[in-house]
Amino acid sequence: MAPARSPDGGTGAASDAGFTLLPRRARRIRQTILRLAATPAGCHLGGSLSMVEILVALLGRVMRVDPRAPKAPERDHLILSKGHAAAGLYAALAEFGFVDVEALVRGYNADGSIFTGHVNAAVPGVEFATGSLGHGLGLGVGLTLGHRLRGEPNRTFVVCGDGEMGEGSNWEALQVASHRKLTALTLIIDRNGGQNDGPTEAILSQESLVPRLDAFGFQALEVDGHDLPALCAALEAPVVGDRPRAIVARTRKGAGVPMLKGKGPHYAVFSPEHLRRALASLGEDGS
Amino acid sequence: MSASVVPPGTQGPDLSLAPEAWLAAHPELSSRLVFRHAAARFAEEDARVVFLEADLGGGGDPFEARHPQRYFNLGICEATMLDMACGLAHVGHTVIAHSFAAFGVMRACEQVRLNLAYARANVKLVCDYGGVAGAFFGPTHHAIEDLAVLRAMPNLTVVSPADGLETVHATRAMLAYDGPVYLRLGRNRVTRLDGPRPPFELGRAALLREGDDVGLLAHGEVGVSVALDAARLLEAQGLSARVLNVHTLKPLDEEAVRETASRTRLLVTVEEHNVLGGLGSAVCETVCELGLSRRVLRVGLQDRYDAVAGSHEALLRGHGLEGGQVAERILGVLPRTPVFAVGSETRRD
Repeated sequence: MAPARSPDGGTGAASDAGFTLLPRRARRIRQTILRLAATPAGCHLGGSLSMVEILVALLGRVMRVDPRAPKAPERDHLILSKGHAAAGLYAALAEFGFVDVEALVRGYNADGSIFTGHVNAAVPGVEFATGSLGHGLGLGVGLTLGHRLRGEPNRTFVVCGDGEMGEGSNWEALQVASHRKLTALTLIIDRNGGQNDGPTEAILSQESLVPRLDAFGFQALEVDGHDLPALCAALEAPVVGDRPRAIVARTRKGAGVPMLKGKGPHYAVFSPEHLRRALASLGEDGS
Repeated sequence: MSASVVPPGTQGPDLSLAPEAWLAAHPELSSRLVFRHAAARFAEEDARVVFLEADLGGGGDPFEARHPQRYFNLGICEATMLDMACGLAHVGHTVIAHSFAAFGVMRACEQVRLNLAYARANVKLVCDYGGVAGAFFGPTHHAIEDLAVLRAMPNLTVVSPADGLETVHATRAMLAYDGPVYLRLGRNRVTRLDGPRPPFELGRAALLREGDDVGLLAHGEVGVSVALDAARLLEAQGLSARVLNVHTLKPLDEEAVRETASRTRLLVTVEEHNVLGGLGSAVCETVCELGLSRRVLRVGLQDRYDAVAGSHEALLRGHGLEGGQVAERILGVLPRTPVFAVGSETRRD
């Protein structure tokens, strides 16, 4: 079960201070993502694998969520703005008990199923349908403002891609969030260095994300996006002052699957043989 | 706000309880200002209502004056305003988001599509400057395609009220309705239609005048006023016109279209929108689909951008959107009246 935040502010995962359980969860999520890549439709593999630790940190430790009550009013919100990484989100929701993993693998792209190739709001644990880039942050700003208006403490976590930061609407939303001092909002950028057509640095450079986010009024820092303790520490540190938080998580497309080292395809359709080799090569520690 | 300052629009008759009297006490207000007062008044009864603005509030907004905690001027960012609107609705707010039609509908079109229509969000996108009401501000500030775009979006309700009173009714109805609505308004024209009208109901066209020679179907301040003017002029020529106010373009009241086709010999749509994609197209679709065998004249903006200065009225005349022009056009094409049909019992004044 994903931990619910206890009244004293601690988390149900506090007993996992040594981070032994969370890497195992990450590894199982990667197994599911690889299985989804081996369905006839395939999946956005590189960007699903790159964000696994981000989702594990959020759903497994930082956020207040309950898979038995995915619409509970007191929940924190996760918005996967990079909605093409649906396979990664669905796999994580399966790991944390929101959906059945076998139903996911069977249903993924099957006729009439809720498991579409971009994130579908009908899937338990999903707040909004995403996939067209540059919407998640604005949605998150609205959620956060809505909760503040109602005097509710719910927090919102928006995961964007680095390539996605090319969308101008993100920079609109950043301005509004900082102007409104929405400290219950956290932006996490999966800085995997790749976008649909190639490396971000060859297409539209994102190297200056931290100073740009800082200039837009966010409290921005960079962490290793595959280092679970570092990610959790960054996400759990108390917000100081009135700036919303932005975390640039340095990741690798295809991370955690040695067979994909140095490749990390944006999209992949695996053969059964691919799947067998990829599963066999999965690192024990999810690195 | 000091206690001595009375919020605008709150003195005299109550807008909610006596909208006609309230409008009579505020004869100078255009529909877009009537809407702002109505939203402010109805929000008194519903704490969930919030109002988003993207720097086109014009200052002195009555909603802001009465509900400052629920009024957010976000700056010039229509896309984020509409994404945010969906987020706010997701936690239980009823969200009004305002911009000019060109920007709220077309600059932020994908936000409307995904996060209002697809999400079925309880967001009311209210846009003024519909049609060429922006006049000399030029085509950047005209919206001649907004209804075509939005009519094609599933889940969306599209409303274009004809005058101040209908704007009050439409504002009340859209706030009571749980789902995404587009409310289209003009600019500075002040319209107060007289005469009886049926109670306002979303999705139900309002019969304003009965007649059996020609059926005029119209929406909005310009469309309905022009249709009524044309009907009066035709009457002087011995022709009776049925006038239907199709304030809700989506869902379209197909039964009212069918009935109008069956009672008249020619259908004419009148609207301040491109002749492509708006009410004219919607009526043609219904007439063809139902096999109604009626010719449909589409009066509207003539599929062109008006890069010329001038008054709203001058622009409308350039598109044939004036009562006399419409009547002339109808007289030129109406099938000859069979002798036995003259003096039909359905005529009524």
